[in-house]
Amino acid sequence: MRTRAVNTKGTKAPGHFSKGYRRTTFKEITKNRSLYIMLIPVILYFVLFQYKPMYGVIIAFKDFNPFVGVWDSKWVGFKHFEQFFQSYYFGRILRNTVLMSLYQLIFAFPAAIILALLLNEVKNQAFKRIVQSISYLPHFISLVVVSGMIIDFLQPDGIINRLIVAAGLMKEPINFLIMPEWFRTVFISSGIWQGIGWSSIIYLAALSGINPSLYEAAVVDGAGRWKQMLHITLPGLMPTIIILLIINIGSFMVVGFDKIILLYNPATYETADVIGSFVFRRGILEANYSFTAAVGLFNSMINFILLILVNQIAKKKAESSLW
Amino acid sequence: MVLILVLVISACSNNNGGNKGKTEEVPSPPASEAPGTEKGEDAYLPLVAEPLKLTAWTLINGNFRGENNNEKPSFKKMQELTNIEIDWTMASAANPVESFNLLMAGGQLPDMVDYNAMLTEGPKYGQQGAFVDLTKYIDEYAPNFKKILDENPEVKRLITTAEGQIFHFPQLNLSEYLLVQMFPQVRQDWLEKLKLEEPKTTDDWYNMLKAFKENDPNGNGKADEIPFVSVNLQNMMKTFAPAFGTDWEFYVDNGKVKFGPNEPKYKDALQYLNKLYMEGLIDPNYLVDTEFKFLTEKVTTDRAGAWVGWSGSYMTSFTDLMKDHAGFKIAGTETPIGPDGTQRYGYHGWPVGSVGVAISAKSKNIIEAVKWLDFQYSEESIMLNNFGVEGVSYEMVDGYPKFMDVVFNNPAGLSSTESLLSFTIGGGSWATVTDERYQEQYDIENAKVAKNKVSKHINYDISMPPFALSTAQNEIVVPLLADIRTFRDEYANQFVMGKRTFDKYDQFVEQLKKMNIDKVIEVYQEAYDEYMTRS
Repeated sequence: MRTRAVNTKGTKAPGHFSKGYRRTTFKEITKNRSLYIMLIPVILYFVLFQYKPMYGVIIAFKDFNPFVGVWDSKWVGFKHFEQFFQSYYFGRILRNTVLMSLYQLIFAFPAAIILALLLNEVKNQAFKRIVQSISYLPHFISLVVVSGMIIDFLQPDGIINRLIVAAGLMKEPINFLIMPEWFRTVFISSGIWQGIGWSSIIYLAALSGINPSLYEAAVVDGAGRWKQMLHITLPGLMPTIIILLIINIGSFMVVGFDKIILLYNPATYETADVIGSFVFRRGILEANYSFTAAVGLFNSMINFILLILVNQIAKKKAESSLW
Repeated sequence: MVLILVLVISACSNNNGGNKGKTEEVPSPPASEAPGTEKGEDAYLPLVAEPLKLTAWTLINGNFRGENNNEKPSFKKMQELTNIEIDWTMASAANPVESFNLLMAGGQLPDMVDYNAMLTEGPKYGQQGAFVDLTKYIDEYAPNFKKILDENPEVKRLITTAEGQIFHFPQLNLSEYLLVQMFPQVRQDWLEKLKLEEPKTTDDWYNMLKAFKENDPNGNGKADEIPFVSVNLQNMMKTFAPAFGTDWEFYVDNGKVKFGPNEPKYKDALQYLNKLYMEGLIDPNYLVDTEFKFLTEKVTTDRAGAWVGWSGSYMTSFTDLMKDHAGFKIAGTETPIGPDGTQRYGYHGWPVGSVGVAISAKSKNIIEAVKWLDFQYSEESIMLNNFGVEGVSYEMVDGYPKFMDVVFNNPAGLSSTESLLSFTIGGGSWATVTDERYQEQYDIENAKVAKNKVSKHINYDISMPPFALSTAQNEIVVPLLADIRTFRDEYANQFVMGKRTFDKYDQFVEQLKKMNIDKVIEVYQEAYDEYMTRS
């Protein structure tokens, strides 16, 4: 248990690595050649599937025609970017994307932490394991099935409406899926339901790495369970939380559009249409590849900038960062 | 089962033959060269001396229970006759647009591409260089198709681009009966039970739907009837908007191209639907239950009162599915008459259907592909495509090709569509001439009556012909229409559902103007004028 001290490793690791790199020599490589050989497939994967396709991003500045190829398509400069910025929907999809991500960060991100903390306090191991299993099971259900379930449950004669009406909260059932004001709530809360258990696993692992002697010392000092959580558990969890926060913000502008296109319809576009679903409609359904490449590139640029910014802030303020 | 096994085995052995044939094949001569001497009358079949294999991409028809088109006796027979084997890529039809666009984005095409919107996509991609221009090949290698073009100038006009190119072999509807596509359908037994007449005007429709809602026609004591079921707004508008003198999108008014949403009459049509919606006469879930299976479920659970649908896959199938339900009967109605007496059927097809097959510009066997596709329009193939192989799926009775029991009362319990598709590709969904006698046998009596009723109200001066735009025109129109359509979908649905009040309609039209709808209409007008003056 104690060898897995996540918190100390998390903060000191970068220093160790940089010293290690300085000592790297040919001898080092031959000594650890089996490790380097194992690294080759990973590097190949990144080169072939992550870096090589980046060349295709130039179609954002071209009028791409698949039958003359990427290189021979006509250059058009920033035409597609201008088209996007001038589009009637630019403001709306940007706002929806940002809001959806923000809500996800505010509600879904802490939810997993809270679940982990709660589970950590449970003394009955059998109960803890059952709760854990049940909470992460939905993670394994395919998104299409989950969306089908959401649609079924939220129908005017679906189970949720029946409960609401039976409980007397509403007289008439609410047709959730055609009401733009409900879309984000449905999207975020169903996302929490599906993802909370799975996301809490990593926190539970971090929790098990906290040195028990710290708790013993706290008990001696007269700290109750609440104080223990505030002063030992949370600080011990902090490095993990920050790393995950940075990773989450790195994909801030990537809202799971696959679930959106399964749940939205013209009546809810107003709050549901995000950059991802917009790109899907224009790119795949209307075969407008250059335009959507431009939109995607714009999206990635924002993510990239956000990632660097957050990492810098975390480095300064919390002394924990990705690099 | 045995039959399938035999087919698979023979398909395998033919594969080998085909491959051998291909390696020995001499590359085809360029089109400009003389067609060769074997093109004599006697040597028409087989199309090639040595066995040859061509590749083709198609979408699996959802009602086809097999895995490969070569399992169909009709294609087996063609292979024997032509000496050409087709190596099919059977793509999933769950998302046809996605499948097709991804194929095209890859840039690597098989010899032939079969798609259900080739009428518009063929010219679009043809002009980008994906498909070969068939005009010069048709004269030399496609005698059957050329004959049809010569006899039907309308067909030629519809598949030719403004620059005079032809990029695909289309499905053809050469009789009026086949031009009827979706039409309004109601539960006839409900009408009879409530002592109602078949609805004629939009007011009749309102009264009928209201009676469906209030008078418990399914007799289960619950008000669970959904008077009008639809899977989208488009079907409703395409049915009711013509009664108000407009249409879902483009139409022609005295030679002037109009875009429905831009017109005040569109507001009338939306207001009518809004009234139905607010009184609970339209399925409140029409934007969520957008798949055919939802409609089927509502019909077969005895809740749906009326809908817009096709004859075979709706009327015939539903009647099949509900054969144990006493009295279940569907009637097709007249196309609705508007408040000022306007009656027009806008949901019709054209002599050229949207299904078609194009040939890759990079194919090494263009001539052979042209010959094979042309063969689909020969008398022999028209029979094979529509009815299958004589003696297997149909018999000639007094000169009339009658489907055998194995098709319509399939012993394995397949529905009529499923069973038909295990014998042939189906005359209505392939590059061939659709035979009226095929559709006729497939339609129940009420469908025939309805088709003859609505087809009288087709007006070709108002309906927008499905001609292709040029690349330059597409470049202007496509990005503009993308935003406009999203905007229209959003607002039109909100108007119908009462989420937006009609005093905002002027703002809606205003915004369409800002989104440059006038420019789009101008381009369509230009294309329409050019099309109308084409010989």
